Amino acid sequence: MGWETDHAPRQDELDGCVTCGLCLPHCPTFRLTGSESASPRGRLAAMAAVAAGTAEVDERFEEVMGLCLQCRACEPVCPSVVPFGRAMEGARAEIAVQLPTRRRKLRAWLLGRVLPSRTAVRVASMLAAFAQRLRLHKLPIRLLSRIGGLRRLPLGGPSRAGESRTAAGERVGTAALLIGCVQDAWFGSVNEAAMELLTAAGYDVSAPSGQSCCGALAAHDGAAAATERLAATNVAAFANYDVVVATAAGCSAHLAGYGEWASGGEELADRARDITVVVAEAIADGRLPRLPPRAISVAMQDPCHLRHAQNVVGETREIVSAAGYEPVEIDDKGLCCGAAGAYVLSQPKTSDELGLHKANQVRASEATIVASANPGCEMQLRFHLGDRYDVRHPIELYAEACRGFS
Amino acid sequence: MTLAADLRLVLGADRVLDHPLDLQIYAKDAGVTPGTVAAVVFPETTQEVAAVVRIAVVHEVPIVARGAGTGLSGGAVPTRPGLVVALTRLNQIWEVDEAAHTAWVGPGVINLELSQHTTPLGLHYAPDPSSQSACTIGGNVGTNAGGPHCLAEGSTVSHILAVELVTAGGDVLLLGGAAPDPIGLDLVGVVVGSEGTMGLVTKVLVKLTENAPEVRTLLLAFPTIEAAAETVSSVVAGGIVPAALELMDRPMIEAVENFKSCGFPLDAAAVLIAEVAGHPAAVEAEAQLVADAGAAAGATEIRIAATAAERDLIWLGRKSAFGAVAYAAPDYYLHDTVVPRTRLVEAMSGIYEIGERYGISMLNVFHAGDGNLHPLVAFDAKEPGMLEKVRAAADEMVKLSIEVGGALSGEHGIGLEKRDLMGEMFSAVDLDAQARLRDAFDPIGILNPDKVLPEGSRCFDFGLVANLDPESAA
Ligand SMILES: Cc1cc2nc3c(=O)[nH]c(=O)nc-3n(C[C@H](O)[C@H](O)[C@H](O)COP(=O)(O)OP(=O)(O)OC[C@H]3O[C@@H](n4cnc5c(N)ncnc54)[C@H](O)[C@@H]3O)c2cc1C
Ligand code: SF4
Ligand code: SF4
Repeated sequence: MGWETDHAPRQDELDGCVTCGLCLPHCPTFRLTGSESASPRGRLAAMAAVAAGTAEVDERFEEVMGLCLQCRACEPVCPSVVPFGRAMEGARAEIAVQLPTRRRKLRAWLLGRVLPSRTAVRVASMLAAFAQRLRLHKLPIRLLSRIGGLRRLPLGGPSRAGESRTAAGERVGTAALLIGCVQDAWFGSVNEAAMELLTAAGYDVSAPSGQSCCGALAAHDGAAAATERLAATNVAAFANYDVVVATAAGCSAHLAGYGEWASGGEELADRARDITVVVAEAIADGRLPRLPPRAISVAMQDPCHLRHAQNVVGETREIVSAAGYEPVEIDDKGLCCGAAGAYVLSQPKTSDELGLHKANQVRASEATIVASANPGCEMQLRFHLGDRYDVRHPIELYAEACRGFS
Repeated sequence: MTLAADLRLVLGADRVLDHPLDLQIYAKDAGVTPGTVAAVVFPETTQEVAAVVRIAVVHEVPIVARGAGTGLSGGAVPTRPGLVVALTRLNQIWEVDEAAHTAWVGPGVINLELSQHTTPLGLHYAPDPSSQSACTIGGNVGTNAGGPHCLAEGSTVSHILAVELVTAGGDVLLLGGAAPDPIGLDLVGVVVGSEGTMGLVTKVLVKLTENAPEVRTLLLAFPTIEAAAETVSSVVAGGIVPAALELMDRPMIEAVENFKSCGFPLDAAAVLIAEVAGHPAAVEAEAQLVADAGAAAGATEIRIAATAAERDLIWLGRKSAFGAVAYAAPDYYLHDTVVPRTRLVEAMSGIYEIGERYGISMLNVFHAGDGNLHPLVAFDAKEPGMLEKVRAAADEMVKLSIEVGGALSGEHGIGLEKRDLMGEMFSAVDLDAQARLRDAFDPIGILNPDKVLPEGSRCFDFGLVANLDPESAA
């Protein structure tokens, strides 16, 4: 009964909810079901019931929490500023401890050990690359079918770990690049673009080799011990840089919450930025160029962890227009695309419904290029949009445009 | 068979909830008093609603309709183990008649989304409760919701032409019609504001309003509440009816600014938000009139929103007010009374006095234009005795409003939380008439029982006016 861990939802977080219900229409799972039990207010009520001792961390509690995408769309609209994402990570941590299934232990191991291991991810992506070439994603197996959402993978490729480059032109500071777990192996060109743009913008850039996966996926799954270990590793690895830059929205959002997971985490959080913020700033300052317009539209997809968790919206549009494209809006409600990290695999039905919805919005926009600043969203979009569409990180679009110009 | 099993036969397993956790989740709306839930269902058609009602009748379980659950008086929460019928999935916009300016919509349609849907036609749905981004048309019908712009446009009841209703017997009725003045009794008026006690609304024919060609929003800051209230009186006395006139006091301004910087001056004792709408020339003149009235009353700042974004920000601030109070304390109790505009200042100082005497912290925001007060008490329900203290203060505030010639509830409904104050407003005969009207729709008393009318409303409960009641006289 009650909570058992230090990460559990805290009473002041739960008391913050005045049950006004203003978050409901912004929650994708409430929109799909119309059910309070699938809404932010309902989930907080369930946590409050456990805290009050009138409910237990049982299977139904797990279901209610498990359907949450952790998209945090409920946060910026909450007039009472309830830190929902934090409370939900706490609830997941409780579930992991109180309902320890073998599956969850396996996941904790995957997210805490395998994903952060560069060798393991390389091996896995090599296997995936073979699978792509053998067209195994056409088989009716969910995990394999998702390979269809990946870019065409190289059979091998360099990791950027340990690399460093010096600033071109006037130096403004030092930047460390969080290369990420899958980002490094599967989206190398995004990290490459980041390094190019950061140096061009006046940063000495390194990708310190002591770093690891940021731990966002582990935290979302309630694997608290792994999350703490990964956060501590990164706090040490990123100690001496002016800014710490992440190229995936999910990672930058997680870094912003490091205060919860490691001592010194708060200090790192203060220096952490999403790449889109740094690049947009450099464009605004004139450290990076604005290229002449060409009449090609790009559909803007906002990763939840940029739009909702970090209030970063204008920056991605700035970058895409500076690259010469015309940004077009696809979704004023900001509903999640359904990727949500491991959610694609854990909640296939909801994930597919949201993915299809998002894909239809893109199709309606008539753009065939989509800008998305998060690898999970990119895979989901590619999977649901098919081959006729190209989904790219906004800084990749911008870096390519710059290359073509110099 | 159990209630839940019968319901599952009709709706399938997915659309019936009865796990204890779900029942706790559904035990509250946006008010403070929790209820008890037996099961929750999610019908998707009128026929399913009717089927669900019939099952509840067989099991003799009270039926409570629920929209978004943003109601502030416990209306959507059963007092005894009851069936909550969530109408959120009846959310189709069936038909918009551009020429007639009407639309048939499901009760689960979200208020703001209806207006967004009709924006391309230059139309909107006028009643705009501050909760409009979340609350449903069905809930608005249930509570006869008002909002800032109801000052000029009238509350929900003025915008509902017809409703489809499932009665306690499981029959489907169509009340009202597209004609502006349908013949027969005005039964739509009876259903609007009945808080789910007359039937479950499954379709609504709403009136749509043309968007004003020009809108001007002003933000005025004052050194005292009285100066702000005086401005309200002189604006209205000056013969203009602004589209909206909203007043917020300093604690409320602080709470809102803590959520989002909306540009409200933190050093003012009160701000007044005024909006005028209509033809450009008239708007210009009226905005000037409001500004002049403010200046005469001693406004320290008068700002006119220059862009749509500035206007939206002012309204975002106003509409976040109730939610933003957690900044002051975890729970809130919101009052809802109407006082004559001429006695606004008097009522306000009386209310502040009551708050002080009970030692409770208060924030104020209200529709000043029509004298609809929303003093809000922020408190922590976990503090022993606090809820009782807050309720006692609440009762005094309501009594005070009635004393100065006002009424209970402008718009949030009576529900459970204000039910026992009905006797302050209505005589035994009045209450009896209301109870009998209700019985005509729901003879078995199964629809949202214990709500709106206090126990003993039917005169034969007392045997007081037995001669008025043929049955008990016999
Ligand atoms: C932040 C905030 C601001 C608010 N501002 C305002 C305001 O400015 N003006 C105002 O008037 N109210 C306001 N309210 C109160 C509330 O939003 C309104 O009462 C609204 O109409 C409730 O709609 P709902 O969909 O949430 O209904 P619910 O709360 O679910 O239900 C309200 C009542 O209607 C009944 N009901 C619901 N659907 C149906 C149906 N289909 N058929 C029959 N009965 C039904 C329910 O049984 C209940 O009695 C505010 C609330 C909040 C939290
Ligand atoms: S908006 Fe915030 S305070 Fe309101 S119900 Fe949602 S979480 Fe609670
Ligand atoms: S994080 Fe997303 S899915 Fe979860 S409650 Fe908030 S809005 Fe809903």
